[in-house]
Amino acid sequence: MKRDHPKTIGGGGNSMGNKAESSSSSMATGKGKLWVEDDQDAGDMDELLSVLGYKIKSSDMADVAQKLEQLEMVLGSEDGISHLASDTVHYNPSDLSGWVQSMLSELNHLPSSDLDSPILLSSNQDSLLGQPSTITSLDFSSNSQSKGFADDSEYDLRAIPGVAAYPRQEFDESNDRKRMKPTPIGSNTAPAPAPAVNSLQSTNSSSCTSPSSPQAMAVSGTLSEPTRPIVLVDSQETGVRLVHTLLACAEAIQQENLKLADALVKHIGLLAASQAGAMRKVATYFADALARRIYKIFPQDYCLDSSLLDTLEMHFYETCPYLKFAHFTANQAILEAFANASRVHVIDFGLKQGMQWPALMQALALRPGGPPAFRLTGIGPPQPDNTDALQLVGWKLAQLAQTIGVEFEFRGFVANSLADLEAEILDLRPPEVEAVAVNSVFELHRLLGRPGGMDKVLGSIKAMKPKIVTVVEQEANHNGPVFLDRFTEALHYYSSLFDSLEWSGLTPPSQDLVMSECYLGRQICNVVAYEGGERVERHETLAQWRTRFESAGFAPAHLGSNAFKQASMLLALFAGGDGYRVEENNGCLMLGWHTRPLIATSAWQLPAGDSL
Amino acid sequence: MEGNKEKRTKFCINDHVDILTEILKRLDGRSLCVSASVCRLWCTIARDDSLWEHLCFRHVSPVPSSGVRPVVVALGGYKRLYMVCVRPVLSRLRRLRLAGDSDRVRRVWTRDEVQLSLSLFCVDYYERLGRLGTGGGDASASSLMFLCKPVNV
Repeated sequence: MKRDHPKTIGGGGNSMGNKAESSSSSMATGKGKLWVEDDQDAGDMDELLSVLGYKIKSSDMADVAQKLEQLEMVLGSEDGISHLASDTVHYNPSDLSGWVQSMLSELNHLPSSDLDSPILLSSNQDSLLGQPSTITSLDFSSNSQSKGFADDSEYDLRAIPGVAAYPRQEFDESNDRKRMKPTPIGSNTAPAPAPAVNSLQSTNSSSCTSPSSPQAMAVSGTLSEPTRPIVLVDSQETGVRLVHTLLACAEAIQQENLKLADALVKHIGLLAASQAGAMRKVATYFADALARRIYKIFPQDYCLDSSLLDTLEMHFYETCPYLKFAHFTANQAILEAFANASRVHVIDFGLKQGMQWPALMQALALRPGGPPAFRLTGIGPPQPDNTDALQLVGWKLAQLAQTIGVEFEFRGFVANSLADLEAEILDLRPPEVEAVAVNSVFELHRLLGRPGGMDKVLGSIKAMKPKIVTVVEQEANHNGPVFLDRFTEALHYYSSLFDSLEWSGLTPPSQDLVMSECYLGRQICNVVAYEGGERVERHETLAQWRTRFESAGFAPAHLGSNAFKQASMLLALFAGGDGYRVEENNGCLMLGWHTRPLIATSAWQLPAGDSL
Repeated sequence: MEGNKEKRTKFCINDHVDILTEILKRLDGRSLCVSASVCRLWCTIARDDSLWEHLCFRHVSPVPSSGVRPVVVALGGYKRLYMVCVRPVLSRLRRLRLAGDSDRVRRVWTRDEVQLSLSLFCVDYYERLGRLGTGGGDASASSLMFLCKPVNV
């Protein structure tokens, strides 16, 4: 087994990720405990690695790590030389530094190609002893031996904003290539990594830690059987590495360093495989989106096949409370606005399957004083196969209305974009005759990609003279001008979402769960990979929407305590109900997962006297 | 004399349907279902929707308006309302509120809980409509499915 590892390294030399993986696996394929009792002076050796069968002096660790780094860069970049690795003969594989040295001296005389790919090498504080992991990010600037790449290929993880990606350490100012000293491994555990782990959104690390600690335990459990080969992976640590790599890749794209980004994306794939649960899924979707952005492979138009989208959304509706929360809170606001009206008209900017309206109709039916006449105008995208999906939904709603005794009228309008609508075509009646409500659930943000679109729609809404406008939007800023900021925001946002899905009580091979994840995955793809008019998932925060509505002349309508109570009760019914939080924010309601608000419902009205 | 004595000792509840109904009205949902398998008479009584209406709104304060019944009946009846919405809603909310108390304590339903159950019931009806349209579909797909799953609250 030990003799084999040069071959595995050589064979797997295509991507750095492989190298990192195979080196960690080869380290683990020792008969761990059997090597411990060797003749070397144990005090000098790094104890943790010696458990695995490697003898490295603690003082040599930094050096060895560096050399491994260089070795990987060389091997990883060119296929032609990898066969050399297998020709070398090694006699003492446990002597890592010797091995590395011999490999390097073999390869050193060859022209080394681009060395601009950094590696996040982690010197292992082990998870077995339950100590916090030390992340050492080593920056390897271009080697003096290499040809070709100048300083601009240097990659410095410190460029990633915040402490998340890179724990602050002192560095050698004199060397302007920014070589970093690794943190000392062994006895002194640097406290710096702890903030690195925690400064990620707590939801992120919670999704890493909760599945990982049983895994770490499992790993330590298997080690006690020396004959069984294991892959030693500390999934908590790789979880953090995974996030770092994702952010690093995004930054590479931001800096138009596509080669680097390409290398990192492959690395992400491997790291993601070592994770479990929500983290793995999120990472996979983000990696996929990043890859699409790098290689510029886009599937067919994002907005097409709306019937598929509807199906995905239905599953999302069934699995988790977000859409139900949106519907129930918006309905409550509409109901309160319609309190005394005898004829009501709701304009739905995104009818889809019409899931919002049965509950409203039922509430109207049971209204003290009897139901009003209810008119619904549904707006939807054009269907690829020319079926009239809107009419189908209208028919179902009409059946329901007849069952519960509500006078009902339906009209469907097909529009590519809301900005194409004019208030006149909606056949509105004067406000004394009928009260109008405008409802938009996750629709308005799509207009932000089109210059002038948002203003036009706000103008149309005002022309409809609504009694109330209900808006539900995602609570995140995925519309910033800088790609990296959008990416970071999206990573945190969707991590929370996926985390909440994990707790939905559905066992993994559930179709609902998969479809819900697919639904979110499409959004992720759109946020990360697309640009310009095709990037429609331009989410903005409640504060931004507030500013927009207020400057357009709308006044906020506070959602009452009824809405809050209903929402809280609804959430209490869901599995994982105590993870969800309803918050009131200046009259608006926000639904979040643990500490992170995810969607926000707000209501708006035209100030009295302005509706002329 | 003998005949009188026999008559007095052999009291058959099945002869007194109104008393039987009053008794069954006071049962909880599960017992009511079980009682339907006792005999044909009991089955008939237990299937009467008014019993289930009583069960659904037994502890509601204030009493729901008269307009509720036609709506509920049209949407599938009180037994279905109980099974699909009321029972899971009540049990989950009860578990949350009364941490220590046994379910001997009778909670009073609030209007909001009734409203929520009715809304969910209506959504359920609408979804069934949709499934009929597409020729069946799979019955497990339902937005009220979350109510059926075991919850560790």
